[in-house]
Amino acid sequence: MASTTARRTNKSKQVRGDGFRARRAGRGVARYYLLYEHLSGALNDGTIPAGGALPSEPELVTRYKLSRTTVRRALARLEEEGRIVRRRGSGTFARQNRKPALLLLNLDDFFEDLPALFTQSAKTLLRFEMGPVPTSLRELQPHLGSRALILQRLHRHHGTPYALTTAYIPEKLGKKIGKDALTRSSIITALDQIAPRISRTEYTTSAVAADAVAAKRLDVALGTPLLRTRAVLSAGRAQVHAVLESLCRPDRFNVRVALERGSSRGSKPHWRLKRS
Amino acid sequence: MTRATNAGIGVTRYLQVYTVLSQALAEGDIAAGEALPSEPSLVRQYGVSRTTVRRALARLAAERCIVRRRGSGTFARDKVVRPSSARQIASIIDNPRSVVTNTTVRLLEFKSMPVPDFLQRDWPDFGPTVLTIRRVRYVNQDPVVLVTSYVPEDVGRLLTPKRLGNGTITAALNQLGLHSASLEQEASAVAADPLTAKHLAFSVGSPVLKLRCLERDSRGRILRYANYLYRPDRYELHTVVERQRHPPRRYPSRT
Repeated sequence: MASTTARRTNKSKQVRGDGFRARRAGRGVARYYLLYEHLSGALNDGTIPAGGALPSEPELVTRYKLSRTTVRRALARLEEEGRIVRRRGSGTFARQNRKPALLLLNLDDFFEDLPALFTQSAKTLLRFEMGPVPTSLRELQPHLGSRALILQRLHRHHGTPYALTTAYIPEKLGKKIGKDALTRSSIITALDQIAPRISRTEYTTSAVAADAVAAKRLDVALGTPLLRTRAVLSAGRAQVHAVLESLCRPDRFNVRVALERGSSRGSKPHWRLKRS
Repeated sequence: MTRATNAGIGVTRYLQVYTVLSQALAEGDIAAGEALPSEPSLVRQYGVSRTTVRRALARLAAERCIVRRRGSGTFARDKVVRPSSARQIASIIDNPRSVVTNTTVRLLEFKSMPVPDFLQRDWPDFGPTVLTIRRVRYVNQDPVVLVTSYVPEDVGRLLTPKRLGNGTITAALNQLGLHSASLEQEASAVAADPLTAKHLAFSVGSPVLKLRCLERDSRGRILRYANYLYRPDRYELHTVVERQRHPPRRYPSRT
């Protein structure tokens, strides 16, 4: 940490040059948040390296024409997140970026890994009932039908909720599945036992804002971005066996895909999942 | 205890309610012509004040997403001509041919700089200097994605803004005989920061699909690291996995 003071002057200059103006706040955005985002970006991309000093509070106040309270709030949030450390008398410094404890789902071992990952973590069964399929899912996957067995679970890791998963199993298949079959094995294993083997999964990954239900379950603020993955499990054309929707907290859980180039088909590159 | 540390705080409550409702409308969870929950029930559902709910509804009304009929309630507008769906746009953008003909690009940055810490930390073989290319890609004049690419110096030396043109960086590298053989991709979700929001014409704090992607050639040399920020209403990521005939070996558990 001896080098931190030496770095201080030139690094704080770099933060200055990039056109951040707190006054151009969008509608409905708190000013402190803009400063927080700005500093957070500088910490992420290494403009302020680990161990490097942040500009002092008075400097931030004059540079961005913000009140001291606003500046303090932004710094307090960064500190709370463990990204900076404030040392009395010497200033504020970027902390060594901890590798976040992310759970990673590898799509390539979905059939093996997802059940393992989701069965090992603590989970709570929230719903197990026949019910209507939401409109947006029905549009996405007409073969699912209008009613399905709905199985909703909340997954926790070290006590923190990270995923809210909902499985929709077409009524005809759903009727054959007992609650205990699903607690003993994964959904895929349970389905494989009563229907032709699932041969294909199609994923759609997107980002959504946490609605009231998801926010409450996942213990996040309303509107927090969540990673949504919808997986359509099928055993051949039009034979949809289940649609699994997971809403994940991106600070806890990301989805990873490893691809390798397969044999070229014409001019279009053809990628396939890399199998370990 | 986790609440205070989550993104989304810092965006006012009305904007949170607005974001959630506008998503429900866009996705059809509240169908065209259907009634929205009443003001008092929105107040209960979201745990916010009536003023907050009204502000969110006022913005949706101003954006012509809803209509408010005195005495009968608030309704989703009848089916307006929907812009191309996220799926359609994805098929344009992910196809190496149509991406050239059917999209446009704005170059924001093209410059050499010292390798950022986060790259150096995760991939020490990146080298000390990188070419940073930041671009926004549009479909029908609507911004879809903000892409920041980092290319190692020796590869970057071969690229010029002109050589990139409208095409993808991968295509430009291909033309130079540099082919990616493996690709690691990680998907996450983030709140749009002010810069991203500006370039994607989106509100600050809205959810954005973030993809990080590392390409290597057949010898394992890094060709490019890229950070994609997509508007989720205009793009979604599709992946198809065919199951292997024989079940693969069991993996040791990962926690």
